[in-house]
Amino acid sequence: MINSSIATLAFLFQEVETTRAAQTWHAVTHPDLSKFLVIGALLFIIGVAGVLTRRNIIVIFMSIELILNAANLNFVAFSRYLQDTGSVNALAGQIFTVFVIVVAAAEAAIGLGIVIALYRNKETIWVDEIDLLKW
Amino acid sequence: MILSGYEALFFWIFALAAIFAALLTVMARNAVHSALFLISSLVSVAALFVLAGAEFIAGVQILVYVGGVMVLFLFVIMLVNVGAEEHGREEIFNKQRQVTASLIFCFLLVAGLLYAVNQGYIGLKKDRPLPEAPVGETVADQAHPASATGTSKITKDTERVGGSLYRYASLPFEIASVLLLVAIIGSVMLARTLRQEASADDVDPELLQEEIARDPEIAKLEPQIE
Repeated sequence: MINSSIATLAFLFQEVETTRAAQTWHAVTHPDLSKFLVIGALLFIIGVAGVLTRRNIIVIFMSIELILNAANLNFVAFSRYLQDTGSVNALAGQIFTVFVIVVAAAEAAIGLGIVIALYRNKETIWVDEIDLLKW
Repeated sequence: MILSGYEALFFWIFALAAIFAALLTVMARNAVHSALFLISSLVSVAALFVLAGAEFIAGVQILVYVGGVMVLFLFVIMLVNVGAEEHGREEIFNKQRQVTASLIFCFLLVAGLLYAVNQGYIGLKKDRPLPEAPVGETVADQAHPASATGTSKITKDTERVGGSLYRYASLPFEIASVLLLVAIIGSVMLARTLRQEASADDVDPELLQEEIARDPEIAKLEPQIE
């Protein structure tokens, strides 16, 4: 009796294990929207970590570009998902991405102009030495 | 959207490339290396855009980011060249306490984001279920017309994005062009030196007198009134 119930349990457990492994493998070989979102989230976090930890102001700007790019990845992934579900205005995500890229280009131009002006006056690009507004 | 077969393989390759290049961007000691790693990250993300069916955005990403913005970054890095960080004399990260605090913050943020993605995606799948794809896979590909050479298929993505860009987003498009104009003027204004401002007669007279007292050369630069 006990033996058979243990055998049944083991069989059930094994069954669950294999189906779960098969499900995981299926999820890996068939990436869907959530995988794009996870990649976007990881890129975003790396960008945030770069902004918070680096001292070089130019690398901080590059990290901001990473953050914007992660947002773009999410927009494009959702746009594709909405196209597949047959939504009405599915291309809005791609159009928004174009505007994000425009804003990123403008931001890079202005930011690097500020960096050059700052370097001319303070002779440094380390953000912890640029403390003009700190009292 | 469900990728399969070679698309899935390329998805994982480019996703890992993007994440590792992003990590190296943040961790590289030399700013030029950072810029080059950022370029490879951006190119990998452009490949992910292609996999998600956004060919036009991928092209714009490569042209604008890699061809424009990153070249600008490299120019600025070379203008403000700092040898100190390359030779290991300067610390590239903030103080220990700040780094620890921000890494803890980032860890909480990534946990929250992944939880939100997980929960939200389950709800989204219930709310807007994908139509059942036929077993034959690669549904989207077969709908595209063949190109003139007959070796590849042409997607309608660019055409559709362009159409809806002018149809539904023409006002934001114009606003974006004004924004770019302001950015051009602003960056030219910001990057000028005092000498350039003086020679364009574009500087506050009192400040000009002070600067002339410090450096008499500037007085010669003033435009002569005829």
